[in-house]
Amino acid sequence: MRDRLDRWADPPLLVLASLAEEPKHGYAITQDIADTMGVRLSAGTLYAVISRLESRGLIEALESEDRRRPYRLTAAGAAELAEQSERMHQVSSVAQRRLRANYGWAGA
Amino acid sequence: MNERQARGAGLLARAALGLYPPTWRARYGDEVRALLDDSGAGARAAASLAWHAVPAWICPSPHLHDRPARMRASLGAVLAAWAVLAGLAAVFAQLAQAQGSAQSLTLASHPVIQWSYWVFDGAIVVSVLAVATGGLPLWLRMFGDARGARRRRDMACLLAPAVVPAAYLAVSALIAGLAHQAGARVVPSQARPVVDLANGNLGPWWFLALVLLGFAAALISAAGPGLALPRLRPDGPAVTRATRAAGLAVAAMLLAGAASIVATVGLYLWAPAYAGYHESWQLASYIPVVLLAAAIAVVSAARGIRAVRSPAA
Repeated sequence: MRDRLDRWADPPLLVLASLAEEPKHGYAITQDIADTMGVRLSAGTLYAVISRLESRGLIEALESEDRRRPYRLTAAGAAELAEQSERMHQVSSVAQRRLRANYGWAGA
Repeated sequence: MNERQARGAGLLARAALGLYPPTWRARYGDEVRALLDDSGAGARAAASLAWHAVPAWICPSPHLHDRPARMRASLGAVLAAWAVLAGLAAVFAQLAQAQGSAQSLTLASHPVIQWSYWVFDGAIVVSVLAVATGGLPLWLRMFGDARGARRRRDMACLLAPAVVPAAYLAVSALIAGLAHQAGARVVPSQARPVVDLANGNLGPWWFLALVLLGFAAALISAAGPGLALPRLRPDGPAVTRATRAAGLAVAAMLLAGAASIVATVGLYLWAPAYAGYHESWQLASYIPVVLLAAAIAVVSAARGIRAVRSPAA
């Protein structure tokens, strides 16, 4: 089995990042994640994540008259996303600095 | 993918939704169907939905139901699965340990078989004690509530675990007695008796009928309290204790099931002439049924224990 090196793309973080823009329903979340982050979440994965995030109080459902119920980030969700983003940013900064110094990487 | 294949994949994805627990479907079902309508349901969506149904059962989201309801549902399912496992254990004991002729004991004296018997006996005792100590206080409370409210239907359901097994044992004793009296008139039609029930040499079809009747009795016994639980809606420490005890009872029953499988395979390998284990189809049917009942019991017990541990709403 191949080692996974794409843990940054954990679906819960992607969903939180997507909802940080504005409230969205399921299809809008998958489209946003595919367009901006290049990851396509399947229906089962998306709703497993939504259920987990909702039970932890990181997102909340908004009222909707049709079947497409939108979700929004809660204050706890925003704090969690900020903490995880900071960690990713630290890793990213270190990696880019060392790549530039030792491998002549010009940067993205 | 052509139109026909796409329609098939869409139907498959919607069918996969049926694999989820009812509370999950009630909360997210419409949204998922809307997503499938918007994004076009394919084989990937169907496979993904089916795959994620497993954790939805094992680790249900705590916000989807209240804890006592989760524990009550878990108790009902565990009781049914435990009753089937107990029935299987009785069949195993009858076909293996109760066959006490000198020849059988010699044939089945392999140390692995002997150890399996001892583990099986100990685990069954622990499991029955766990059911009794955890279930009896809850049963008494529910029966008191049903009697106080004059709910005769619930009282009848709650009495099922006492009345139905007693009736079954009486019928079994009657059949065994008749077989014993009939003796030579019954047995010669069989090349070899399947089971030596109280030396009655019960033929295979009578034994099979008794086994099926026993499973029906076990399921009816479990269904009684299982039906009364959601109607009487007990909660509090009695339900929590019963749920914990159900977890222990299932764990012990799993150990007994594993020991019986080891003993069964041992008898098949090292005692091929042993009564009841000379046919490989018996082995091939016993083990899958044990595994299926065990899987249901484990998932239900795990859901109950998670509800006990989850913070109160």
